[in-house]
Amino acid sequence: MYLMAKKLRQIAIYGKGGIGKSTTTQNLTAGLAESGKKVMVVGCDPKADSTRLLLGGLAQRTVLDTLRDQGEDISLDLIMKDGYKNTKCVESGGPEPGVGCAGRGIITAIGLLERLGAYTKNLDYVFYDVLGDVVCGGFAMPIREGKAKEIYIVASGEMMALYAANNIARGIERYATQGEVRLGGIICNSRNVDRENDLLRAFAKELGTDLTYFIPRDNIVQRAEIRKKTVIEYKPDAQQADEYRALAKKIAENKKFVIPKPMTQERLEEILTEFGLMESSDEYAI
Amino acid sequence: MPETLTATAPKQTNTIVHPHYGCAIGAVYSVVAIPGGVPIANCGPGCADKQYCILSSGNGYQGTIGAGGGAMPSVNIGENEVVFGGAKKLDGLVKSALRIMKGDLFVVVTGCSSELVGDDIGSVVRRYQRAGKPVVYADAAGFKGSNITGHLIVVREIIDQFVGEYRGRKKKGLVNLFFEVPYFNTNWRGDFIEMKRILDGAGFTVNVLFGPGSRGVEEWRDIPKAQFNLVVSPWVGLDTAEHLKEKYKQPYLHIPVIPVGEEATTAFIRQVVEFAGIDPAKSEAFIKQEAHYYYYFLEHFSEFFSEFWFGLPSAFTVASDSATNIAMTKFLADQMGIIPVKQIITDNPPEKYRNAISRLYEDLSEGVSAKAEFIEDGYMIEQEIKNTDFGASVPLILGSTWESDVATELKGLLVKVCTPNTEEVVLNRSYIGYRGALTLIEKVYTAAVGGGS
Repeated sequence: MYLMAKKLRQIAIYGKGGIGKSTTTQNLTAGLAESGKKVMVVGCDPKADSTRLLLGGLAQRTVLDTLRDQGEDISLDLIMKDGYKNTKCVESGGPEPGVGCAGRGIITAIGLLERLGAYTKNLDYVFYDVLGDVVCGGFAMPIREGKAKEIYIVASGEMMALYAANNIARGIERYATQGEVRLGGIICNSRNVDRENDLLRAFAKELGTDLTYFIPRDNIVQRAEIRKKTVIEYKPDAQQADEYRALAKKIAENKKFVIPKPMTQERLEEILTEFGLMESSDEYAI
Repeated sequence: MPETLTATAPKQTNTIVHPHYGCAIGAVYSVVAIPGGVPIANCGPGCADKQYCILSSGNGYQGTIGAGGGAMPSVNIGENEVVFGGAKKLDGLVKSALRIMKGDLFVVVTGCSSELVGDDIGSVVRRYQRAGKPVVYADAAGFKGSNITGHLIVVREIIDQFVGEYRGRKKKGLVNLFFEVPYFNTNWRGDFIEMKRILDGAGFTVNVLFGPGSRGVEEWRDIPKAQFNLVVSPWVGLDTAEHLKEKYKQPYLHIPVIPVGEEATTAFIRQVVEFAGIDPAKSEAFIKQEAHYYYYFLEHFSEFFSEFWFGLPSAFTVASDSATNIAMTKFLADQMGIIPVKQIITDNPPEKYRNAISRLYEDLSEGVSAKAEFIEDGYMIEQEIKNTDFGASVPLILGSTWESDVATELKGLLVKVCTPNTEEVVLNRSYIGYRGALTLIEKVYTAAVGGGS
């Protein structure tokens, strides 16, 4: 669909919990919105914090809270709010912790958005910011049934981030072989780990994809977050704002979409060892 | 699938057509079968109704009473309950059911959706239990297995949550019967009546637990007082008996073949009486009386049996659950002299019981043995029957409505002995014990003389 002239690109952002998916998604969508693109962001996380920076706070009720309280007979404006530069913001939300099925909640929420006509023709992008990992069918919803066809995985040079990224690649491979979903690339949200850029490049290459962008670490991101803003809104002239604009441009221009080749556990550990994240067995000197 | 399949048999795929059982949520009907029992179906709309089709209406149009069929309280789980959890709706339903339904025991039987979502049913039900209400919960999701699995889960939960602890004395001559699965075994009502009649006649007091002869929850409360447990089935109820052995230090007697006919039933009575150590005077008097009636009819029948030359079957197959299968096979082979040529067990017994079940077919009568095959798929069963050599005589097929087509194709006689059975209305019919055996003989030979099956 995205190959057509005016086409909707639906993009899902996955990655380990706490890696910075929501921050990255909102900053890059701010970059796209700033360049005049029409963007919708759908938070697929029961924490419902995927649109906080675009909206200037947790300013809206989630789809599931609304459904629970008011039933299905609701209008779109109850669950969709305009954020930075008219970005359309939706949060699926979830059930109370320990109750019900959050995965099914995502499916319900996206189904409702479709029925209420949220996917309008003038949209250029829909971004799905998905919780942690492809833990069950519900969290794979954005990449099933012809929804998001492009996936970006946010990772860093930390071991668990890469384990999670490799697992996510497995989920994508499963759906890619039976549909159109493809991996668009890896986004590194830097943690200032030694040789991080090299490691992420090697990791991406092994998966058969590219390192889409390396976002350097900068505390301005945290300062903007405290003010409930993206960096682009908070300090448009900052170097970090340009980094996010560059990431947005990379994604806008990306043409490389692949079926990932997830690694075996052994191969992943080999790479981590090569880049010094794990000790090799010969280093255990007796 | 088992190694017993022949080389020509189709291979089992990952789907099953024409099953001869329901799913675990069918255990709601085990609750309905307890006088005063009210099931609360904690599942999606239609789940319990489908079980009504395979276990009741599509199985001899048995109907239902009390809280069965359309009267059953159901949570009717929908998307809201899946996403947000169904505990609250269930709580409201339990409250309403206690208020509206007349019952002595309420059993929340939980199906797939609620179990997948991980609803904490125990926490809902325990509040009622603490308030002294007779409510029990049983996790019987369909993915756990067949309606037999569900039945066993429900029985165990009632024992653990409702019957509870007991350290008092045992009552000699009181026996708990673990036997057929209510509604699932087409003739269960008649069979329970006949089995109770036999055990009563032999001098026992029986907790039959299900059906019209049961005193309802009072009997369930008396389970721990029984001298022993009697399991009359190849495998169903053995786990329950093991559990009771541990829980109440109750011994059990396992008789794997349901007795059919005078010889088997008399031997059955003597075995139970000997195990219990009760005075055999009453049982022997009962046996004498029953044998008198049995052979009175059999003598009359023998005239027809020896003189009627046309269209009597000489070879038979049974495709049914294991309890019915071995009972029918044993009787027809040992007492009627018909040759067992294909014995297909359809209820998917757990692996650990299969060798023991197979061994039951090794000595059916003097010089007569058969091979048990475990097949669940109705299509494969049809193929197996089609490929069976019945010799020159008319094929006799004991099975279900699923076997109607192959019976027609083979111009065979079909006697329905298990679910589904959509071509007969069944009330108190029985094919077991003394009286039931005569009915079975009537059924088989009525079919043979052209009375239809």
